Amino acid sequence: MRIHEHPVLTYEKGREVEFTCNGEIVVGYEGETIAAALHAAGIKVLKHSIQNHRPRGFYCAIGNCSSCLMEVDGVPNVRICVEPLKEGMIVKTQEGKGALE
Amino acid sequence: MTMKADIVIIGGGISGAAIAYNLAKKGMKNIVVVEKRFIASGATGACGAGIRQQWGTEMNCKIAKMSCEFFENANEILGYEGDIEFKQGGYLLLASNEKEEEQFKRNIALQNRLGIASKALSLEEAKEIVPMLNTEGFVSAAYHHKDGHLNPFHTTLAFVKAAEKLGVTFMKYTEVTGIDVNGDEIIGVQTTKGYIETSRVVNAAGGQSQDIARMVGLELPIYSERHQILVTEPVDPILSTMVMSFTGNFYCQQVPHGGIVMGRGDAGEPRDGNINSGWHFLEEMARTITKLLPPLKKAMVIRQWAGLYNITPDRQPILGPVKEIKGFYLAVGFSGHGFMFGPATGILMSEIIMGEPTSIDISSLNLYRFDRGEMVFEPSVV
Repeated sequence: MRIHEHPVLTYEKGREVEFTCNGEIVVGYEGETIAAALHAAGIKVLKHSIQNHRPRGFYCAIGNCSSCLMEVDGVPNVRICVEPLKEGMIVKTQEGKGALE
Repeated sequence: MTMKADIVIIGGGISGAAIAYNLAKKGMKNIVVVEKRFIASGATGACGAGIRQQWGTEMNCKIAKMSCEFFENANEILGYEGDIEFKQGGYLLLASNEKEEEQFKRNIALQNRLGIASKALSLEEAKEIVPMLNTEGFVSAAYHHKDGHLNPFHTTLAFVKAAEKLGVTFMKYTEVTGIDVNGDEIIGVQTTKGYIETSRVVNAAGGQSQDIARMVGLELPIYSERHQILVTEPVDPILSTMVMSFTGNFYCQQVPHGGIVMGRGDAGEPRDGNINSGWHFLEEMARTITKLLPPLKKAMVIRQWAGLYNITPDRQPILGPVKEIKGFYLAVGFSGHGFMFGPATGILMSEIIMGEPTSIDISSLNLYRFDRGEMVFEPSVV
């Protein structure tokens, strides 16, 4: 299932691009949110809770709840539900609270 | 409603809570603490909560050392079920020029003489402690491994809970509206929740200490200045040590939860009680800290707030009785370090109030030193 309308952002669905998630090549559309692309590709577990390490997935979709924080191009704690996808992005699940170095 | 108290302490921050606890421990009964809002809702809860023994005057060093040693065992002493989160990761002070370096050397000599094991560090040594530190613009550093920071809410609550167990009453959301005086004696305190008959009052009102003093006709040589702080989202441990620069005018620390707390002073800050947050601070703070600790560029700011420094002419507190009004005591003017001095404030003020000799001679911290020109200016304040 692909998310076509975002609750708070408007975006143009661009050309088809490739990016990686934990090393796997994923295809999405430029300009849609990273979360939308991952969701369409069937990737549902985005991070794990800090204390009990339970899986956390797509939730508020508006950059508020921190359920979708991932590392994108080396930057930790990116809210992928509001971050536009670009070609070649390196997306990784992060362990813990995110390393700044 | 009229109550009776043996003593009324005005202010439910660290000072008021620590004084109440220590008085109760010494056996005083009928202690009432009056707090305008909730516990630690003023400067205590807003503070950066750094703990350091690296001071520039003998008095501040002694008070800080006494407090730090208390914090080390505070959970046990106070029987606190939570954790005050004392992180003794050290405190790194950066010198920006030779003049400041000289000052640090004088401070370290003083501190060492008083049993504080601080030491001078080269910039290379400083980088071993904080590897991400950009040393550009600094010449050297001072460091003390036993300094650090803790959680101001938990710490104050620990004092409050311990005091309550000893019978102290905390009246929250209660504002003092007047203090009645007959001649030179206190007869009672007017509050928004009724009248309290008492012959003794402690002014521990932090940023509002001048207003409380005015209720008995005293003008304190103090002003309250806004100081702002921000905190980032929690991230993995990256900063074990508190970092500070007096010339650079900032301090920064990472709390155990992972958020990085930082603040700075500004000569243009308002002195009218305003504790709103401003975008100017956010910009300046972000610029300063990302130059100093470049990896922080990747961290997002999640919150910003401000509190009041209650500042005296020599940046040292005023502790003790006043000669104009019998039974009126001051624990005010901490100039930005009232939180870290809290345990000592509690011990020393309770000794003064009970008429005992004080553990540290703090007679020089009386209100009248300013008129007599007996100030010792504290050089080490942000």
